[in-house]
Amino acid sequence: MKGTFFINGRKEEWSFAPDAVLLDVLRENGRTEVHRGCGEGACGSCAVVLDGTLVNSCQVFAASAQEKEILTVAGLGSIHSPHPLQAAFVETGAVQCGFCTPAMILAAYCLLKKTPNPTDDEIRRALDGNSCRCTGYVKIIEAVRLAARRMSSHD
Amino acid sequence: MNMVQWYFPETVDEAVALLGRERTIPHGGGTNLVKSGIASYSGVVDLARVPLNYLKTDRGILEIGANQTFASAAENLSNLYPGCILASALGSAASTPLRNRITMGGSASLFPLWSDLIGPMAVLEGEICTEGKNAGSFDLSTWLANRAVQKGTLITSLLFPDAFDWISAYYREVRVGFDYPAFTVSVLARKKGSRIERVRVALSGGADRVVRLTDLEEALNGADLSKVSSLDLRKMGTVRFGRKPAGSPEFLSEIAAVQVERCVKSALFREEETR
Amino acid sequence: MTDFSVVGKPVLKVDSLSLACGAARYTADFEVKDPFYLVFFYSPHAHAEILSIDDGPARGMEGVVDVFHSGNTPSDLYTTAGQGYPEPSPYDTALFNKSVRYVGDIVGAVLAESPAAAREAAGAVRVEYRQLEPLFDPEKSMDPGVPCLHGDGAFAPLPVPYRPEENVAGEVLFSFGDVEKGFAEADFVEEETYRTHYTNHCAMEPHAATATFDEKGRLVIYSSTQVPFHARRTVSRVTGIPAHMIRVVKPRIGGGFGSKQEIILEPYVALAAWKYKRSVKAELSRHEVFTTARTRHPMRVRIKTGVKKDGTITALEMNDIMNTGAYGAHALTVLSNAGSKVLPMFNKIPNVSFTGRAVYTTLPVGGAYRGYGATQGYFAFNQHVDSICRKLGLDFVDYVKKWHIREGETSEVFKAIGEGTEGVSQIIKSCKLSECLDRGAEEIGWSRLRGKRITSGSWVKGVGAAVSMQGSGIPKVDMGSASMKMNDDGSFNLYVGATDIGTGSDTILSQIAAETLKVPVEMILILSSDTDLTPFDTGAYASSTTYVSGQAVLRCAGKIRDQILSAAAVLMGASADSLSLGDGGVVVNRKSGEEAPFSKIACFAMYSHDQFQIQAGASYTGDESPAPFMAHFAEVDVDLETGKVRLVKFVSAGDCGRPINPVLAEGQIEGATMNGISYALTEQYLFDPRGKMTNSSFWDYKIFGTLDMPEMKTILAESDEPTGPYGAKSISEIGINGPAPAIANAIFDATGRRIYDLPLTPEKVLAAIKGVK
Ligand SMILES: Cc1cc2nc3c(=O)[nH]c(=O)nc-3n(C[C@H](O)[C@H](O)[C@H](O)COP(=O)(O)OP(=O)(O)OC[C@H]3O[C@@H](n4cnc5c(N)ncnc54)[C@H](O)[C@@H]3O)c2cc1C
Ligand code: FES
Ligand code: FES
Repeated sequence: MKGTFFINGRKEEWSFAPDAVLLDVLRENGRTEVHRGCGEGACGSCAVVLDGTLVNSCQVFAASAQEKEILTVAGLGSIHSPHPLQAAFVETGAVQCGFCTPAMILAAYCLLKKTPNPTDDEIRRALDGNSCRCTGYVKIIEAVRLAARRMSSHD
Repeated sequence: MNMVQWYFPETVDEAVALLGRERTIPHGGGTNLVKSGIASYSGVVDLARVPLNYLKTDRGILEIGANQTFASAAENLSNLYPGCILASALGSAASTPLRNRITMGGSASLFPLWSDLIGPMAVLEGEICTEGKNAGSFDLSTWLANRAVQKGTLITSLLFPDAFDWISAYYREVRVGFDYPAFTVSVLARKKGSRIERVRVALSGGADRVVRLTDLEEALNGADLSKVSSLDLRKMGTVRFGRKPAGSPEFLSEIAAVQVERCVKSALFREEETR
Repeated sequence: MTDFSVVGKPVLKVDSLSLACGAARYTADFEVKDPFYLVFFYSPHAHAEILSIDDGPARGMEGVVDVFHSGNTPSDLYTTAGQGYPEPSPYDTALFNKSVRYVGDIVGAVLAESPAAAREAAGAVRVEYRQLEPLFDPEKSMDPGVPCLHGDGAFAPLPVPYRPEENVAGEVLFSFGDVEKGFAEADFVEEETYRTHYTNHCAMEPHAATATFDEKGRLVIYSSTQVPFHARRTVSRVTGIPAHMIRVVKPRIGGGFGSKQEIILEPYVALAAWKYKRSVKAELSRHEVFTTARTRHPMRVRIKTGVKKDGTITALEMNDIMNTGAYGAHALTVLSNAGSKVLPMFNKIPNVSFTGRAVYTTLPVGGAYRGYGATQGYFAFNQHVDSICRKLGLDFVDYVKKWHIREGETSEVFKAIGEGTEGVSQIIKSCKLSECLDRGAEEIGWSRLRGKRITSGSWVKGVGAAVSMQGSGIPKVDMGSASMKMNDDGSFNLYVGATDIGTGSDTILSQIAAETLKVPVEMILILSSDTDLTPFDTGAYASSTTYVSGQAVLRCAGKIRDQILSAAAVLMGASADSLSLGDGGVVVNRKSGEEAPFSKIACFAMYSHDQFQIQAGASYTGDESPAPFMAHFAEVDVDLETGKVRLVKFVSAGDCGRPINPVLAEGQIEGATMNGISYALTEQYLFDPRGKMTNSSFWDYKIFGTLDMPEMKTILAESDEPTGPYGAKSISEIGINGPAPAIANAIFDATGRRIYDLPLTPEKVLAAIKGVK
């Protein structure tokens, strides 16, 4: 089947199988910043922001995401103009292998949209679906704290 | 290449009509359909545009639309009624990105062994409201006893006739924070002074999907708080379990009983009353 | 302290911005034209002989290109372990074995035009098996009458003990002094048996490999590997494709922890691509990573010491049986490390004996895993030491401080146990373990909490500690190389074979080069791990990169510096010894104060005078393997009614020499520690009675997430390792050794019960509390 998706603000027409999950369709169409860690909803590496909320794209049928806004980490910022969260992850050393990072940043992004000054507990809860095997999470939490501080002092 | 047809109805009537077709099923959040697969069906009816994403209360009656997600329901409830057992149960299920997808309807259709909805449903004595082939409303045990009623039927909402003014306690047994529960304990209580007006206790995840601990409830209903210490709550909270990755039947049975006791005591002896 | 401008600074990890922005690519992210897809099918039996394979129906299916299996592929034996050549691991596996030895053993692979077609066809291949008796208990593997798992020509390429007829995949025997005499001299003898369990690395990126062709028809393999050079060698050996026709490229890697020190997918994609001259992609699912890829070797550690009333240990005997599973990948070397990384800790024991055997079973295959045997050994060692202290009424911290190895000391073990060969004797030149213990104890509140059993309801508090040491590369075995060239703007390309798999080695090696040349890190353009472009390196394992590859970079950059100075001497008309490097990429004439920027010197050399490019290469092999040290402290609350263990706080205090990059060093410790914590508490393989793993997904194999974090504190006790690059030692592995014994010791502190088997699940803790055996 064919469908329309709004990826990082761009309208895309893609064809896909009716039982394809969004993760596969994104990756097949070059959005490889969305990673597959498990394919079963349990690691969060594939998370994207779908119409404003964080979802695991491996748990979403592409068909059900048609006509919707999808944000990946590449839509948040770029090497030449990184989002404060991306910068904070870099500065605190929260990125090791980086496989979990795009989704982790999106989870933090969804948190900060709603809760600009989160407590540590709120940060942990917002990232509860995103596994990281490299960092032990310590610096990831630190990164979100730092970004929150910077972003809220901006607006 | 499979030829499943997706439908995007905008009203309940349209959805119901579509569900009348051969091998056609509803899609809520999709978190279970992704796993079980849809390739063997001919039609999938996405409920996203049907106006079933709501949460409303009317004179103590709470109604949650089938397409409300766990995350929204938990958030709405904890804003409106912070002590509501549904808020803590649904808000701690699975993980953030999953709660953003899992719907009330999909969960009520499945009521998996690890459901965080089933315990609160049992103690709140909620009803499952449906349209379509078997339109009507069902209590939990009728619903669980006869899964055939679901065929061609659309869950439209969950209704909780007496949802508020309870003191509640909810416990889920997990190995790590993001885990499905091996069992859950749900307790509701109402007190007047030191008199226990009403207690409801449910344990899910045992050999029976969910049980109300009626012996325990009967022993406490109407009793004075001082009676609690004379009761063997653990014994009354002991149910049979099967083996699970979280432990042996004996172990799970034992610690579930401990948690029943703790939840009951926590609800009965908690200082501040929750709304 | 010496003043450095780049080393010791929290320089930003050089690849992290591209990773954070989703620009960096992993193996599966590379687009190749019209690829075929390779999907495997596996043995459902723990032990069976394959009688026949009927691939006819599968071949007839739409989109199917080929079906590979033992009937139509080379059957040469090799090892999947990515180690130096010849490998210390036995050659006991073929691409597709005719006998299968664990549930998940690779039986065949389908090549098809789409993953879906390949998967469907894989399910359609009919394999006829004759089931054989399985062997699940490693402690029975050497018994008479049990099935022999490798009777078909398996051999060890190195002259090491290998006795497949007894199911012995590796053996390490070693002793000095006279343990019997030692036990006789003791006031009491303490003997315990500990068991560690199967676990998985759970690198977030599952294994992947893509084979494609360059415009000259050479095979290019992108692979999620820790060992690109070993991968090329092994692929060539197994497939017969000449090595010069193979290029292995390591892109970004989504974590390894040892799992990708294994050559699993590369030979298959190479074979299929070479046959059809088409690109081939393979990617394991999470389930396959659990059931087919590698694991941490389970180990039974029996430890016996003779102890005097004053705490002096008169003799120590360690007897290990390690389960290597169906194949012997890393069997001998992991086993060796359980002795060689553990026994030197208490180097003053006069009588020591170590007996270790790695045995085959019909269970998943062990492999390299962060800690590499030391983790298993230290689980037993630290609890054993805690037991002794409890018996004697001594404080664990004081006791370890008194007896641990220190600067200027050696251990006979270093010389005795190497990795397949003899070891290398060495003297410890840096050790801040006592400082680690003091600072860690202070941070956890040791004296305030130890033995106090502070109770709240049914919850009781306890604290526990553990110490460990590791190595920095395998001495006289691991080799790293670097090459460098200078560009006309004064920047440098640095090429290293060292493999950054998320560890930050690209950054650290850049820092070492930048420090040596006194330029900002931005002026070092690093490229890691491409067998065509970068020089050789054994790979990312054995905690070798900072120490071994770091020395190679240091030497290479030193040569570049000398060339810069001699070119500058001509340019500036001064003698080379009156010149030195100034900060920020200039050469300074110390007498006149005159300066020449690097760009000018590079251009001068390149375009004007005696034209040449400033460039150099260097290799390095360690003569020794200086040990990093670490002390771990756990504060737990134990629920006496449910056996639940709540980890409240965890402290890791480590000596990794001078941390080249303190933030990255902390990150290594934090990650290893968290992995060690969930190893201790929740991770485990569950098997059904037929040897099939029943929890092969994150749904039931639980790793720690953000909700499970204790309060974490990391302390770096800096030392200066004289043999290391800028004083550095390794840091990547050691952090995983301490959590399990520290938590077990804390549980003992709270409950008075010792748990001998990992993992420390609530059910076991509760049974121990209730005294059930
Ligand atoms: C990794 C993971 C962890 C999880 N952990 C938990 C947990 O801890 N606690 C918990 O409670 N749940 C948990 N779940 C969720 C649970 O397992 C189910 O996936 C979920 O309840 C299904 O809801 P859904 O809306 O996604 O349903 P869908 O997948 O859309 O549908 C499920 C079934 O319900 C039917 N259906 C959907 N909507 C309706 C409707 N309105 N009327 C009639 N039938 C309908 C569908 O046809 C289908 O048969 C977890 C899921 C995953 C993937
Ligand atoms: S890949 Fe989607 S949650 Fe793991
Ligand atoms: S940085 Fe490697 S998984 Fe998080």
